[in-house]
Amino acid sequence: MVSRFSAQMCAPARVPTYVSMFGPAIIAFARRPHKGREMQGPWPCREIPLSKDDKQNRAQVELPLDEHRILVANRGEIAMRIMRACRKLGVAFTAVYTAEDAASGHVRFARDNGDGKGLFRVSSYHDANELMAVADIAGCTAVHPGYGFFAEDFRFARRVAKRDRKMIFIGPSWKIIRELGDKINTKRLARSLGVPTVPGSDRPIYDEMEAERIAKSVFEFQEQQGIQRPLVLVKASAGGGGMGIEEVYDPDQFRSVYRRIRSYAMRQFKDEGVLIEQRITDFNHLEVQVVSDRSGRNPVHFGTRNCSIQSTGLQKRIEIAPGFAPETLQYTFNAERVLTDIVDYSLAMARKVGYDNVGTWEWIVTRKGEPFLMEVNTRIQVENGVSACISRVHGKEGVDLIAEQIRIGLGQPLGYTQADIATEGVGIEYRLIAEDPDNNFTPWVGRIERFEWQDAPWLTLLTHVPCDGPYEIPTEFDPNLALAIIWGKDLDEARERGLAFLNSLRLEGRNNAGEPLKSNVGFLRANTGHILHF
Amino acid sequence: MMDISALLDEIKAAPFREIVIATPHCGRVSFADLKPGDSVVGPQGQWKEKPGSHIATLEREHNPKPICALEKGEISLLHTELEGRFVEAGTPLAVLRHKLTREEVQRLILQKALHLFCAPERAKYYFIPEVDKKIRAADAHSVTVRDGMELLIMSRMKREVPLHYTGPDGVIYEIYFKINDNVNAGDPLIGVCPRDQLPVIQDVIMRVQTEWAEQG
Repeated sequence: MVSRFSAQMCAPARVPTYVSMFGPAIIAFARRPHKGREMQGPWPCREIPLSKDDKQNRAQVELPLDEHRILVANRGEIAMRIMRACRKLGVAFTAVYTAEDAASGHVRFARDNGDGKGLFRVSSYHDANELMAVADIAGCTAVHPGYGFFAEDFRFARRVAKRDRKMIFIGPSWKIIRELGDKINTKRLARSLGVPTVPGSDRPIYDEMEAERIAKSVFEFQEQQGIQRPLVLVKASAGGGGMGIEEVYDPDQFRSVYRRIRSYAMRQFKDEGVLIEQRITDFNHLEVQVVSDRSGRNPVHFGTRNCSIQSTGLQKRIEIAPGFAPETLQYTFNAERVLTDIVDYSLAMARKVGYDNVGTWEWIVTRKGEPFLMEVNTRIQVENGVSACISRVHGKEGVDLIAEQIRIGLGQPLGYTQADIATEGVGIEYRLIAEDPDNNFTPWVGRIERFEWQDAPWLTLLTHVPCDGPYEIPTEFDPNLALAIIWGKDLDEARERGLAFLNSLRLEGRNNAGEPLKSNVGFLRANTGHILHF
Repeated sequence: MMDISALLDEIKAAPFREIVIATPHCGRVSFADLKPGDSVVGPQGQWKEKPGSHIATLEREHNPKPICALEKGEISLLHTELEGRFVEAGTPLAVLRHKLTREEVQRLILQKALHLFCAPERAKYYFIPEVDKKIRAADAHSVTVRDGMELLIMSRMKREVPLHYTGPDGVIYEIYFKINDNVNAGDPLIGVCPRDQLPVIQDVIMRVQTEWAEQG
């Protein structure tokens, strides 16, 4: 492969080049400022006087794909999927790894498939300075954050887009990440568009009278719904990670709980603000996959997913697309209508904010079939592949949402509309994890000695665990081992194939004490029978 | 009873330790004016507040970071071929030949004399709060451990489990791990000395203090 940054490179006519401090000619890149709704037609559209920055921005957007290089700022399975997508698109990539991850499959993949600037060892995936330094030396034009780490960090996205040597952040623009990353803000925005959210306050409450009024209405609402045991959640607005949250089941107790949380919030977070919400206990967790190009005006969806099968720590374990199967299963509500509604609501919000990359709208659906928007994940998600496997664009299989994310992230128009997207069949994604479901899903640590499965045309297995030798599970990261994505023409076939896969799986290993590997395969098998049942 | 003289002789036969100085993160390297054979010193001052000899500077995102010697020694290898180049995290820059200090020899010998309680798994370790408080207030010697007592918290993958001490009753004489650092399985966490053996251990220390001559 020819180095994309060689001095002999023919730069497109309007691309400004400069000789960087790193030697060879590197193109200066910048990201187009997000002005989606102000623009007419495809970018660029109007002749307006350009500032130096704008000229750089324009240059970047006009770069052909094969002149881009993406920094893969992540590890493991997702880093491998990003690299594969890059290869598919003809985009060069640069991967990073830390000392603990030296044996990870993503390192080997980068070494085998990358060029001379394909792989760098860094001190930490969490150190933005490391990532920027590597991006500069490798001549990256864009950064893909994957999921986790910097994926939803608007400050990181802003830094990538605004630093001296500007790059493209493969994700929504930082302003959108900031806007939708704030749950209260998202809730307010949703309400302004008539999108249903969990009943309760959409801003921190500082006044006791108002708090009681809201709590009363939330209790009444639940009684009207026929909920046997109404619950109200009182939480410190400035809190997080489950800190400062209490449930109230007796309206007479509300005031004392409210006061307790208020003073707790004051002590801990120097802010008395309290949120009051309905506590919903009986629900399904659904998602809508949204995809939109940089114009931000024509978002499309790639259907829904059901992610209700989770560990006790509320971590997803099985995801199914589509979100319900009304043609096969009986629901106590109009499931088809719910799916249409959440898709429409999600797209309405995406249009409103000018959403300009991939994103997921997360919903909870109650047993009565009421959807409430929970939050928006402004990134690619682990489970994007299960939506892709049932999607057809122009009737064709092989949809790769990560490749789509990169393509539109680099400025290409989406190139198709909702009418061109169809779905076919049912997809199941299993998350294979070394953990002990019988013991609170405690991660199991040790060495994997055997990892085999029966390949099939309907199966995609994504893993960073090498299958040709033992692999020590690093303790520094999440214990995910692999994702298995299974396609079937209907729910029955998908379930059958899912079980066939799980039964063919050989996952063995030992820890230091000589104990055998523990995995969640039994949990996945036991839950396959009732997927998509409410 | 262990043969301290033999141990000391063994250490005296090879009293050096090779220390590899590697880059803590990525960046562009420029070496200080050093050559192999030069002597360097570790941090100095009453509180070790003065950094050791300047080995190299690592520049990343316009921030220069001085890389300094952490121990006294002699430069035995300098990767000057890296001068001006961008290097990855963990790239070796220099090798230092470091003569063991009295304290290090003492630690080495103590590791053989004490009962070592080792890490069962690669993880981060913390003392349980009560023990931690005692150690902070006085020192490790003030903590008495008993077989089966809850002593440490083992933390990995964001999960924490209590770890019970196994071994003879005694006081914690040495602590071998640092908070927030990962400890490999099998590496010692603490060295425990049964109370009745304290005089023996003190004798070991005296022997090292008198017999290990430390040059200037």
